Amino acid sequence: MLKYSIKRVILAFVTAFIILTLTFFLVKSLPSSKVIATDKNVIYAFYMNQVKLGYCTVIEHPAVEEWVPTVTPLDRVIIGRTEYFFYTTPIIKQYFSWIGNIVTKWDWGTSTKVEPGASAIFIIAQQLPPTVSVNVISVIVSVPLGIGLGILAGLKKNTWVDHLISTLVMVFISIPSFVVITFMIQWFSYQLQWLPPAWARPDETISKKILAYFIPVMSLSFGSVCGYTRFVRAELCEVMSSEYLLLARTKGLTKNQAIVRHALRNAFVPILPSILAEFIGVFGGSMILESLYDIPGIGRLYITALNAPDYNVLMVDMAIFTTVGLLAGIVTDLSYGFIDPRIRMGEKR
Amino acid sequence: MFEDKDFELLDEKAPVNENIVDDVEISDDDFTLTQIDESVHEQRIQTKPTTFLKDSLKRFRKNKSSVVAAYILGILLLMSFLVPIIDRNDTREVHEDYTFLAPKLFKSGTGFWDGTAKYKNIPVDISANPNPTGTPEEIEAQKQEDWWPDKDRFSNHRAISKKKFTDQQYINDSTAGDYAKDGYVQFGYLGSRKEGEAYDFTSRAIENLNLNNNLYLNVFDVYDVNKIHLREGKDTFDTPDNYHLGECALYFKYQEEVNREVFDKEVQLIDYKLVHNIGSFVTSLAEPKLNIAEIIQNETGQTTFQNAQFAVRMVVDGKDRNTCSLIGGISFEYDNAADEETQKKFEAISFTSASPVVAVDPNSDKVRGKKIDSGKDEGKTNFKYWTYWSSTDIRRVYLAKAYFCSFTYDTYEAAFGKIDQDIALKDLINYEKEGWISLTSDVTGQSTLYDTEDTYFGYCLDVKNFTCKILEPDKCPLAEPITLKDLEEYEKMAVYYDEDYVYGFFPIKATFWQYKLKGLKSIPTFLMGTDRNGRDLFKYVFEGLRTSLLLGFLTFIVCFLFGLAWGAICGYFGGTVDLLMERFTDILAGIPWIVVMTLVIIHMGSNFWTFALALCMTGWIGTAARTRTQFYRFRGREYVLASRTLGASDARLITKHILPNSLGTIITGAVLMIPSVIFSEAVISYLGLGLQNIASLGVILSKNQVYLKTDPYLLIYPSIIIALIMISFNLFGNGLRDAINPSLKGEEQ
Repeated sequence: MLKYSIKRVILAFVTAFIILTLTFFLVKSLPSSKVIATDKNVIYAFYMNQVKLGYCTVIEHPAVEEWVPTVTPLDRVIIGRTEYFFYTTPIIKQYFSWIGNIVTKWDWGTSTKVEPGASAIFIIAQQLPPTVSVNVISVIVSVPLGIGLGILAGLKKNTWVDHLISTLVMVFISIPSFVVITFMIQWFSYQLQWLPPAWARPDETISKKILAYFIPVMSLSFGSVCGYTRFVRAELCEVMSSEYLLLARTKGLTKNQAIVRHALRNAFVPILPSILAEFIGVFGGSMILESLYDIPGIGRLYITALNAPDYNVLMVDMAIFTTVGLLAGIVTDLSYGFIDPRIRMGEKR
Repeated sequence: MFEDKDFELLDEKAPVNENIVDDVEISDDDFTLTQIDESVHEQRIQTKPTTFLKDSLKRFRKNKSSVVAAYILGILLLMSFLVPIIDRNDTREVHEDYTFLAPKLFKSGTGFWDGTAKYKNIPVDISANPNPTGTPEEIEAQKQEDWWPDKDRFSNHRAISKKKFTDQQYINDSTAGDYAKDGYVQFGYLGSRKEGEAYDFTSRAIENLNLNNNLYLNVFDVYDVNKIHLREGKDTFDTPDNYHLGECALYFKYQEEVNREVFDKEVQLIDYKLVHNIGSFVTSLAEPKLNIAEIIQNETGQTTFQNAQFAVRMVVDGKDRNTCSLIGGISFEYDNAADEETQKKFEAISFTSASPVVAVDPNSDKVRGKKIDSGKDEGKTNFKYWTYWSSTDIRRVYLAKAYFCSFTYDTYEAAFGKIDQDIALKDLINYEKEGWISLTSDVTGQSTLYDTEDTYFGYCLDVKNFTCKILEPDKCPLAEPITLKDLEEYEKMAVYYDEDYVYGFFPIKATFWQYKLKGLKSIPTFLMGTDRNGRDLFKYVFEGLRTSLLLGFLTFIVCFLFGLAWGAICGYFGGTVDLLMERFTDILAGIPWIVVMTLVIIHMGSNFWTFALALCMTGWIGTAARTRTQFYRFRGREYVLASRTLGASDARLITKHILPNSLGTIITGAVLMIPSVIFSEAVISYLGLGLQNIASLGVILSKNQVYLKTDPYLLIYPSIIIALIMISFNLFGNGLRDAINPSLKGEEQ
């Protein structure tokens, strides 16, 4: 088990490394985004920091003389009597500086437009709390609800309860999330005016802040509840028709005993890992929800950084989405092994 | 599964054979011999062998929901190809006349899907008759007559019906500024308000503006509450000389002491064009009006100003915030020819550079308007208040009072129905020449006399004996015969008239059918309404659906073929090849699809083909994995081994033996790729990376997102279509999988 776990983790680490490398080269081969700031000292400080970190080189020249550089520089700043010409270093050099900076200083790059001069990690850290809080609440709400509905549907298989739940699940899983969010805002915020139509600003009252959670949590939960209901129902139906359950009943267990002790426990083998993965997933924001509801989370940051464009922040955001995805994958696979030692996900069959 | 109730203890004493009827007689006649002379074993089976497909179809038919889904899917597919061809409405160009028509299926007046839009709480312009008087019924009638919602937006009063007023709502949030911008907000007694809430008044302040003589600026004004109307952002104040004061360029911060003492303040006059100070002067409480024109004359020696811009700034020392305001000013622009853009620009200048953000101390009692004469007038509506103006970067109005109304607006009536317009002389003569109308009096233009060519000026007609009859109602754009109702009015306006004729500059009012003026034969109807560009949403949505489906099918085919090949090689050969290829897919699958799409689109631009490419980049992984599993399953089977022993090549084994057996499972799994592609496309459009210049469901939805509040139908119909296509695709896909692959029945995903 230990060997298997280590192998999986190392593999995921290598995968993440390769993906991040690929992303780095793809992003850096785009035309570099200049830093936008009104104060030229900020710009100067930014580029000097870039030079220090190894992403830029600088040529100084007296500003009084007219001097046209042979190669167009990335940017130029005049401070006092000196004009500074900044050039980007070759991508491969930047790449090694980047890795070096991450390993030694945990410096993932500096923002150029979203918050000029601020560290990208810092910006991400600022945006995480809203995303995580909304996601955590939605997981807490949706998991029990989904499992409950799934069990209900599974136990009452082929009755009207099951048909109703299954139909609703089918409908809601098919409707895209942005449609759901749009109509929730239209209905609850504009029509009934119960809930605010956008995320609460920091200076607003606690009650407004709490109210602002309803629509995001509901819209995130819809898909999640439907997914769990369907999953649990399918698993439970499979277990209910198995032979060991028949044996359990034959040897004298009541129906409830058989369901709780045998059916549910076995049905939960594949369900628990997915719940764990869901908890890892709280670090990845929903871009659609966050941009529609104006939540200052990392999903909206992705769009902001993309449209700015601020590629350094975008890069870190992409890294987060990738890492969260991979991490969720590992947690699922490993927890399978812990729950049911016979299962080795991803191993050669 | 057995339950306890399935088993029953039999009563031992009960006669077991009680129910068996033993008086049935069986005779030889009940039996006949068949096939007595035939040898059955030699006969071939007569029933036709059923094929795999037929069998699947039979199973598929049993699944009712999937069949319904398949039909819906078929209809939508058909419509997505037929509607753009059959519907002749243009969706490329912008049609100004057709914008925001509500969906219409039934006749107007039925109340549902009839081309009307219901509006709630729209600010009302009460300037025509601010204080209706009389009995409640009379007041109501006067209100219906004179109070109108935004006339720019709801231009045709015939289209407004079921008007209902909501009186005097207090707006108590930051959106009040928006109301003030578009509507008419009346400021009044602010009632009870919480401590600490700031509210800024922005109001019309210049009265009696006479530029040549005295330009008076009231430093502070006393207003009757019910007469202050604000239309922020749009107003231009006409002076007698047709000069225009720049739009709402007034901003002034003034502050009173508790005991209504106002300190004299030094005020600077600034020439905006040259950005220099012209001079300073002192306001005086004793004389609250500043004669700016005089000051300008004194300071500059000029008496006429062409195209000039001035501003007055009031600079106060900030030592004592309780007694002094921070900074204020009034800016104005008198330029007869200034276009709207310049005025806006000017406003921007005056608000950003001339006045820094005023930090209003919300806890200070000094920043609020003070009520005067309260003892005298309390309890009546016409309280008198001080008003003052302040400048902040964002002008917000808190605790403002406004009138709203709810009504039904027939958008078709507004765009195509009757409209009152002045008829041009040329048209009137033309209609008579065409024989569409007949007039009893001669109409001739007096263009030589009055030097007005083909305008409605300069009629020469017999007003007193004027009658008009419409002869051909089908061709004539006039909806009603022209009547000269207010004869006296016309006589007043006339330049001169003799016994029979009136000559003069006066417009003749007529009622037209708008659709005839626009050259249409009848009023069009749009099933799903029209959008901001006047596009027929019905056609546009199906065009979008077509794009989405094309994208979905294209991606499906490419991904399916590539995934099949990849998975086949992986699964068939196994070993190192498999390991390497699997690692590759692992890495590719590890990148979130949104990142892949973003990178492809920002590198290669956003058009149909890059979209397809981006979707194909990761789309094939699922198919490849499924194919690989199937190939692992079948490659060790006996028939494959037998074929290999007979000398079949790898290619033959893959294509002729393994593939046909596994294809059903693979294809059913891959069908669900189409709805997921449609979904991905829509999501990407929402992120602002959507297809350019092509309609797709995602593009339509994201473009119309801003009209959620005002015209929700623009989102409802595309949403219904996208939900319908997703639901039916999923149901159809699941049904197909159950039918082709009965062993997987009930298993989800």
